[in-house]
Amino acid sequence: MLDAIKGYLNSGTTPGEAGSIFWATIYILVITIGISLAVISMNWLERKILAHMQIRLGPMRVGPHGLLQPFADALKLLIKEDIIPQDADKVVFWSAPVVVTMTAFTTFLVVPFGRTHAVTDMNIGILFMLGISSLGVLGIIMAGWSSNSHYPLMGSLRSSAQMVSYEVAMGLAIVSAVLMTSLQTGTGTLSMIGIVEAQNAQHTWFIFKFFPLGFIAFGVFAIAMVAETNRAPFDLPEAESELVAGFHTEYSGFRWSLFFLAEYAAMLAVSSIAVTLWLGGWMRPFPNWLSGSAWDTAFSLIPALALFVLAGMCLLGTVRMPKIPQFRIQTAGLAIFGALLGFIGLVLLIPAVRVRVQDIFWFVAKVAFFMYLYIWYRGTFPRYRFDQLMRVGWKVLLPVGLAVLIATAIVGLLPQLTSAVLGVL
Amino acid sequence: MSLKPLLRKMFLVDLIKGLKVTFNYQPPSEAITEQYPLERPAIFERFRGQPRLNSNPDTGESLCIVCNLCALACPEQLIVVKGERNPVTRRKEPVSWTYDLSRCMFCGLCAEACSTDALELTQDYEMALYSREGMVLDQAALERGQEPVKYEK
Repeated sequence: MLDAIKGYLNSGTTPGEAGSIFWATIYILVITIGISLAVISMNWLERKILAHMQIRLGPMRVGPHGLLQPFADALKLLIKEDIIPQDADKVVFWSAPVVVTMTAFTTFLVVPFGRTHAVTDMNIGILFMLGISSLGVLGIIMAGWSSNSHYPLMGSLRSSAQMVSYEVAMGLAIVSAVLMTSLQTGTGTLSMIGIVEAQNAQHTWFIFKFFPLGFIAFGVFAIAMVAETNRAPFDLPEAESELVAGFHTEYSGFRWSLFFLAEYAAMLAVSSIAVTLWLGGWMRPFPNWLSGSAWDTAFSLIPALALFVLAGMCLLGTVRMPKIPQFRIQTAGLAIFGALLGFIGLVLLIPAVRVRVQDIFWFVAKVAFFMYLYIWYRGTFPRYRFDQLMRVGWKVLLPVGLAVLIATAIVGLLPQLTSAVLGVL
Repeated sequence: MSLKPLLRKMFLVDLIKGLKVTFNYQPPSEAITEQYPLERPAIFERFRGQPRLNSNPDTGESLCIVCNLCALACPEQLIVVKGERNPVTRRKEPVSWTYDLSRCMFCGLCAEACSTDALELTQDYEMALYSREGMVLDQAALERGQEPVKYEK
């Protein structure tokens, strides 16, 4: 038993492939907790960054620089009255947030945080992710329908129309990336790990492959994924100014926070699809060009350095805190937080940890970039009108996606085509 | 459709311009929010706030000569001044002063009309109270100036 548990560590595969139920459970727990933590920090970061983009300060009172604000919010949501409308369909009303949250979290089963850091490696990984995340629409429709109220119904109708129409463009973009895995080197694959390894084998991220084809496909996906997760500027299903809160108008307290959790988990999920397909997944920048043990060591130090920079920023904030008695606890709290970050950075310097963690770091860093983009879009763009949304989806993204798919196939087969043509001549 | 707007649309020029604007606003030093109780706003010299009745700093006697110009100037007629002539100095001195802050719109006409710079609208702005009591200021309150009231349960 113990040998089996230890044996996995040297297998160099995911727990699913190695057939280790124990490690699979551990991985699932770690990923669930990690995603929840990411959602919590995303909550704080979004409010803070959005505030700064709008020349505000954002949360400043609960903890140093509002660091404890998400926890205060979570506490508030937990002790809030849980209201179910009298005429609501109770069973559906209950199950809708559960469906949404479960689908959002299930997608992370196949997300590869590293070569060995995924719960399992499915040979239909990307298909599985798309299928499960599409089920989220069902939860949203359930929520809108069971609330028995105008605004939720309108919101869920908009949401389903939007998600269904953008899924087409998204699928086309994904197919063109999957097509790239089969070109030049061997056979194609739908496995998330296989896609990243294909990028490694072809010595390029797919975003730069057949420039600008990979880039256009990535662009189509980047737009479709914002619409897919109902975020600004495509946040019509929850348009505050028109529909109060869209499909979750009637939800409060814990149920509402489940929707919140699911929305951010879905954002993380589609961002990880984009990272896996186009940005080389867990691979560090330039794995082939800057290869060699010296570069490997240099790049493996970056996670620790990044945490040291964050810790330094915290300490700088501590020094800059107003020197008032009321702020003593906050100053101490910020110093402790900075010290904690520095300590994690020190742990990451240990060679054994360093080697295992660096692929997770690069994956998370790339996903974080997408999360920043989400906030940036929200701080900048006004909401689309519904007909504009549909026009962008069907009349722009769909044809562009199709064209890119065909062009990718043609360019990929160009060597064979030319040789065939020359053979005939 | 001419070529230029089409290219602008294709390469998302306008969207990127917008993104640039919000990106540049990000340094926290750009934020114009003030953390009010800890950080106080800079009040301009000509701001008209809490009224004050000035007195001579050397002798401590009121500068007001009960000319009644402020009461006449006030569009809300919220100033009532009564005074009598001091038989020794032959100078008119205020006996009762009332200034109804609840009706005041801080137009500053009273301070403008004052012939001795006795009445002045200062830069104090923390005048909120928890009841209407205390809104009508008497001479002592006007000379003293009011402290901000703290909330107590």
